[in-house]
Amino acid sequence: MMDRSLKPPEALMRAIAQDLKPVRPSPQPLRLALRMVPLALLVSSLILLAIGPRHDAGILGPLLTWGASAVQFVLAIALVWIAAHESIPVGRLPRQVVYSAAVTASLVVVLISLITFSTSPASEPVLRVPPIVNELLRVKPWLMGFACGIGSTLAGGILVLFFSWVFRNSLATRPTEAGALYGAGAGLAINAGWRIACPVSTPWHALGAHGAAIIATVILGALIGRFLGSRRLRMGDKHS
Amino acid sequence: MSEGDQEVRALMIRYQGGSLEAFQEIYAQLAPGVRRYLSHLAGGSEIADDLLQETFLQMHRSRAAYNPNYAVRPWVFGLARNVFLMNRRAARQWAKVHESREDLPEFPVLPEADRLGSRDEIRRCIADLPPDQAEALLLHHEWGFSFEEIAGMLGISAAAARARASRGMADLRRALKGLQSAQAAPRGLPVMNNSGDLAAARESLVRKLLKRARA
Repeated sequence: MMDRSLKPPEALMRAIAQDLKPVRPSPQPLRLALRMVPLALLVSSLILLAIGPRHDAGILGPLLTWGASAVQFVLAIALVWIAAHESIPVGRLPRQVVYSAAVTASLVVVLISLITFSTSPASEPVLRVPPIVNELLRVKPWLMGFACGIGSTLAGGILVLFFSWVFRNSLATRPTEAGALYGAGAGLAINAGWRIACPVSTPWHALGAHGAAIIATVILGALIGRFLGSRRLRMGDKHS
Repeated sequence: MSEGDQEVRALMIRYQGGSLEAFQEIYAQLAPGVRRYLSHLAGGSEIADDLLQETFLQMHRSRAAYNPNYAVRPWVFGLARNVFLMNRRAARQWAKVHESREDLPEFPVLPEADRLGSRDEIRRCIADLPPDQAEALLLHHEWGFSFEEIAGMLGISAAAARARASRGMADLRRALKGLQSAQAAPRGLPVMNNSGDLAAARESLVRKLLKRARA
């Protein structure tokens, strides 16, 4: 029989009584992931708004230009949705689902990069920027890789920070993994916009520079997730 | 969702709205079960009490993370498991858990296995089951969670949760039956001088039977 007279210890009651302001219940994982769409779309489109779509968009066609990016973007939101599930103590998905989604996302990025290169093997940086900049990028191609890598990592970093704020109360059992998942979502979302603007489609550039940026956002997300997880533990410790 | 779950869910919504009484009521309803679950996870260690307080503290800090579409009990049990794993990972009190492993955890005796052996035998057999099987078995048979709820707590599929629980139950039955038949015809057992020897021999027999059952 349940003992309804069981009382919480005094120290616990004091800690709870100190902060009893009403809170708004968290939305379900799908709704939470969908709420991220507008900002993710905005940040991933910044590069497009700045320099416009790639010069060979006509050769690639709408399917490979916009369609492939749309697929990447949907996958990015799916990863955020999985991260949201991981953050609920009773809503975790089977590990196979989590790993399959991560592998699928990686394969999709590689596949799209290779198909884009085989359709239009553009290696010349032709951007809507002053000619001297285009000439510099042509002479020193590593600069283009560096710019894409740093630029998309920064844009991805903004999204990761936003996602981390949304997931700050996450109750993930594996916070590092949950962080890596939303980090991957941020990286993929940024790459979806970036690949439409970047005029270079060589595999070393697409996978080396853009891929490295995705990996950087995954690592950043994992580190933030780990930090939030251990912070939660320390805060619990302080009160007990 | 059962009637009891509906009641706790209504309390949780009141608690999210700022009611201290609702928290006390939730604590009174859930704390005993959560404590036994933590005690099982911690192998009977006394840190179960600290972890219980930490679980409710985490629940308070993250009360906004609860969505009323979920049942409260599995949510809190999942949170307790989470708190246990985080603490174990931090390895602060992990040594304590191992030190106190000598005592059997006070987890319950399953009604399904009640006829197969004494309470002590059943506890001993459950303690010797693989941890993932024992956890699924107890979550389903003792605390009454559905396989979907267990799957959500453990991060596995509902089919895997069912398989773990039924494999655990089958191993438990086999071990208990083997134990009883060995007691009925104790030919292979050495002569015991005191109850300590008997307990040790029994334990080793249970381990052997479980090993054989798993093989």
